[in-house]
Amino acid sequence: MTKAKPNLEGDLQDQAHHEYSSELGVTTVQVARLPGFRTQSGGDLPFIDIAYQTLGRLSPQRDNVVLVCHALSGDAHLAGINPSTGRPGWWDFHVGPGKAIDTDQFYVICSNVLGGCGGSTGPSSINPATGAPYATDFPPVTLREMVRAQAMLLDHLEIPRLLAVTGGSMGGMQALIWATDHPDRVDTCIPIACCLAHNAMQIAFNEVGRQAIMTDVNWREGRYYGRPLPRHGLAVARMVGHVTYLSDYAMHEKFGRRLQRPALPEDLFPDFFSVESYLQYQGESFVKRFDPNSYLYLTKALDRFDLLNQRPAREVFGPVQARFLVISFDSDWLYAPEQSRELVRLLKRANLPTTYLNLTTPYGHDSFLIRNQEFSRAINHFLTGEYRKLHGVGVRPAAERHP
Amino acid sequence: MNRFLYDEVLHWIPSRGRVLDLGTGDGAFLERVARERAAHVEGVERDPNLVSRCIERHLIVHQGDLLDGLDQYSKASFDVVLLLGTLQELIDPLTVLKEAFRVGDQVVVSYSNFAYWRGRLQLLFTGHAPVTRALPSAWYRTSNTHFFSILDFAAFCADVGMRQVRQLWFNPGGRVRRIPNLRAEYAASLLQAEPGSALARHREESVH
Repeated sequence: MTKAKPNLEGDLQDQAHHEYSSELGVTTVQVARLPGFRTQSGGDLPFIDIAYQTLGRLSPQRDNVVLVCHALSGDAHLAGINPSTGRPGWWDFHVGPGKAIDTDQFYVICSNVLGGCGGSTGPSSINPATGAPYATDFPPVTLREMVRAQAMLLDHLEIPRLLAVTGGSMGGMQALIWATDHPDRVDTCIPIACCLAHNAMQIAFNEVGRQAIMTDVNWREGRYYGRPLPRHGLAVARMVGHVTYLSDYAMHEKFGRRLQRPALPEDLFPDFFSVESYLQYQGESFVKRFDPNSYLYLTKALDRFDLLNQRPAREVFGPVQARFLVISFDSDWLYAPEQSRELVRLLKRANLPTTYLNLTTPYGHDSFLIRNQEFSRAINHFLTGEYRKLHGVGVRPAAERHP
Repeated sequence: MNRFLYDEVLHWIPSRGRVLDLGTGDGAFLERVARERAAHVEGVERDPNLVSRCIERHLIVHQGDLLDGLDQYSKASFDVVLLLGTLQELIDPLTVLKEAFRVGDQVVVSYSNFAYWRGRLQLLFTGHAPVTRALPSAWYRTSNTHFFSILDFAAFCADVGMRQVRQLWFNPGGRVRRIPNLRAEYAASLLQAEPGSALARHREESVH
């Protein structure tokens, strides 16, 4: 195992990167207003807003589109510097000129999920019927509905097909839904660190987060808009979530048993560990950018997701045309490699061309957000290879142009 | 291994065949199989760095340990399963061969012959375990876990019910036709499971 010292790690959105510069410079997010949307549960939304970012240039044949789906805490700001926060997008390490998803070659789209709080319609959006935020009147949305909303966005942008759809964690699950629900629109699918359905442990961690929010006195059945936020609940939810994204190795390397500061007279307990301080910081910084109700809706959508949903795998994967690159990380204990292997087994038995890569990294579930050359190269070569196979003509791997 | 061996093994692969390569390494040979036999190829490799090299060659590759089985593949998915230069590294070669015969109709193995004359002389005159081109590492560094000769392999085949449909032997000069157990550094065999053998039963009884 490579035990390099962790430098930049974790969610780029929550890190203060004073020295960080993105090759993409400042990038922006746009919003598309799309016509009415009816959820499976019977909820009617008169219109939905979907926030999205596009990077790179669309080819005249419209055949170089890569759709990136974000994870639970992500948003449409994929890469480049966000002008309002000054921070890089969540996948800036892997999306940009000469990077894993090379914006010199591909037209890259990322949109904020339906139910989210990064510019797309969600519980914190204004309900046009009442003029007040939907709050918990927002219908419970599923991952499939998030993908359906994304498909509406692509129709709006007149994008017929995707060269690739990819994402990590919740984004990987959406990528799988794309391949199965829209088989005629997806050429390749790259699900990363995800699964076919949450197991009891994954649901359990999410439930701890939800209970933290819902038992915060400020939650008030979700109608906290215009009042104090259930910030402590959301911070605790983020703290427990964040721990599950790391590994014992990463935490040991970063914090060990170091103390954050000397004891103060007002301390209840004498030793304030660095890891406690870090988690509190993570919790507090998350509160500034995430809506507690969205956290409830998205984690519940994750827990309810089941790609097979009692159907035989043959039926689910029968119509699929995509070629797959499935990636997992050996230190990821939240979405363990065994879950990716189960996915791979089903894909292969359905005769779908599937490459599986289980990377050796020490950083746990967050590994897909971290700078990692092997990960970058695998995605880059897979994409350029598939583009060549599909269209005969080559786009060159980034490594050959940016030595 | 031996380039003559690879050149010959290519001819055992049916044109446009379905080929699974176990222990595919960096995929260099599998890429040749795909190109020169117009075959549908797929590899299995344990080392993530080598899996990445295969992805760079635009090959379909599965990262996994052969000893964990091949249950990601349905039975009879391949015409030929390749096991080149890997057999002597497998703690439990029979389990891997069972799985190879479950997913493939024929299996090609290649291995280094421990009874090659250079090795025999080294052992006889120096008293040390042989270190040769085919066995390049000292015993404590080698990834090999088993050491066997062409005769030993024939006995193994008879014991477990595999028929050697074709056999080829090589040394650095090329093909070896006579006294292979003494003169050949490498051997390759095209194998079939004998009907009724444990290997054949494993395939018949497999549910997927």
